[in-house]
Amino acid sequence: MRKKTTKHIQLVLITSVLATCAQAQQAPDAKQRVFMRADSTAAYTEVTDNYKHDQNTRSGSGGMGSSLLWFMAFRHMGGMLGYANNNLHPQSVAGTNAAKAAAFKAQRGGFGKTANSTVKSSAGS
Amino acid sequence: MHIKKLRIDPQWESRLESIGYGYHSIGGVPYWVDDYYYEINNQEADLIYNTTQELWNMCLQAVEYIIKNKLYHLFKIPSFMIHHIEHSWENDEPSIYGRFDFAYHNSDKTLKLLEFNADTPTSLFESGIVQWYWKKHYFPELTDQFNSIHEQLIHSWREIKPYLKADLLHFTCAKETLEDLTNLEYLRDTALQAGINTKLIYIDDIGWSGRNFVDLEGEPIQAIFKLYPWEWMIHEEFAVHIVNDINKAQWIEPSWKMLLSNKAILPILWELFPNHPNLLSAYFEKPYHLKHFVKKPILSREGANIEMYYDDELIFETAGDYGQDGYIYQELANLHKEETGFSIIGSWIIGQEPCGISFRESDMPITTDKSRFIPHIIRH
Repeated sequence: MRKKTTKHIQLVLITSVLATCAQAQQAPDAKQRVFMRADSTAAYTEVTDNYKHDQNTRSGSGGMGSSLLWFMAFRHMGGMLGYANNNLHPQSVAGTNAAKAAAFKAQRGGFGKTANSTVKSSAGS
Repeated sequence: MHIKKLRIDPQWESRLESIGYGYHSIGGVPYWVDDYYYEINNQEADLIYNTTQELWNMCLQAVEYIIKNKLYHLFKIPSFMIHHIEHSWENDEPSIYGRFDFAYHNSDKTLKLLEFNADTPTSLFESGIVQWYWKKHYFPELTDQFNSIHEQLIHSWREIKPYLKADLLHFTCAKETLEDLTNLEYLRDTALQAGINTKLIYIDDIGWSGRNFVDLEGEPIQAIFKLYPWEWMIHEEFAVHIVNDINKAQWIEPSWKMLLSNKAILPILWELFPNHPNLLSAYFEKPYHLKHFVKKPILSREGANIEMYYDDELIFETAGDYGQDGYIYQELANLHKEETGFSIIGSWIIGQEPCGISFRESDMPITTDKSRFIPHIIRH
């Protein structure tokens, strides 16, 4: 019978979940790091230096000066959205990687609507 | 079985948070009870174990009966899912867990089945981890607890591993719910410890390639654990792809669990096992002789849209958005009552094995998502 207590417990993942969700607020003077990516399959790139909120540290070029940020603004978002030139093929965002192209083309959001439409916080029972 | 009180640990919130438990309170009101607990004895633990085992076997017989007699209309199962359900049952698609909810009657020491949370039971993390650490904090080495959930999860994943369709098992739940994410990550944690490769994806990020389901990297999803109810999935936009999927993705819990997580199973069990000591009488239509009863939607969650009648008079009801699929009528149970409230027992079955219990307590005799979680010990 397994109606006894577990002898030893080790957790690999779970404490990091809460550590992420419930971390203490940053001190006001702590540096906020900013990461961006071109699409949902790309790696994140740190672009902190393009966001100088502190006037004392603002660089001479000021604010959104990097090519990456201009790319973010004018990337293809599909469905005639965004500022991209529609003469460019939307798949240009995905490059030549077949898996990445497949990920880009996949339809998403077909599951999960019921959870979003309910006021209940959990889908469990 | 009775409540006992403790002197509260002033650091109880930070103690719980340090083990990864972030939803111990709802709007500032404690959901986790740290300063009182249930003490049960060995005979009571044996009774819960044996009853859980017996009901699980009865449930499996009931699934066989429903499929053989094609009673899907009673469960409001859409026709496009029937083959999927039958296929998952015939292929013995793996199931990892479920939780029976029991009413306990102290005077005659009997357990009565209220319902079976067979598809998306939560409070697993509280039951397996938080209550284990709670006992370790207050009762080092002196007592026992009906709780081998953690090792049974790892053991069950090891048993399931050879039957997974792929080397990678995806895990999914809805976004922005810490409770579901914690339960899901706990399950993924135990799967990892069983040697299974895993990947987390939120359910609204699942993609459809036109041929199969894909994750955010475009990798085909071949085996996936979902903490998201089947009855929601089958009414959403991608529902039809579940049966069109060329990979025939292996969903855990499997689709045959839809038959057990639906309250239509309660009248079926009563029909198959009439007057069974652990069942409350239950019907699809209210019989004249049933005067004290509970009217439950066949599909509802966390005590929503429940109506409780005594002498045919409505005495309690809960709000909610369920009921459009029909109701069942279940004999009114006597819930265990202490000065702190009404309690039910949740009994976990993991990989065919009863292995842990939890207590939920409410101020009224209906258990909802606001009901408090009470830890327990076994006093030898």
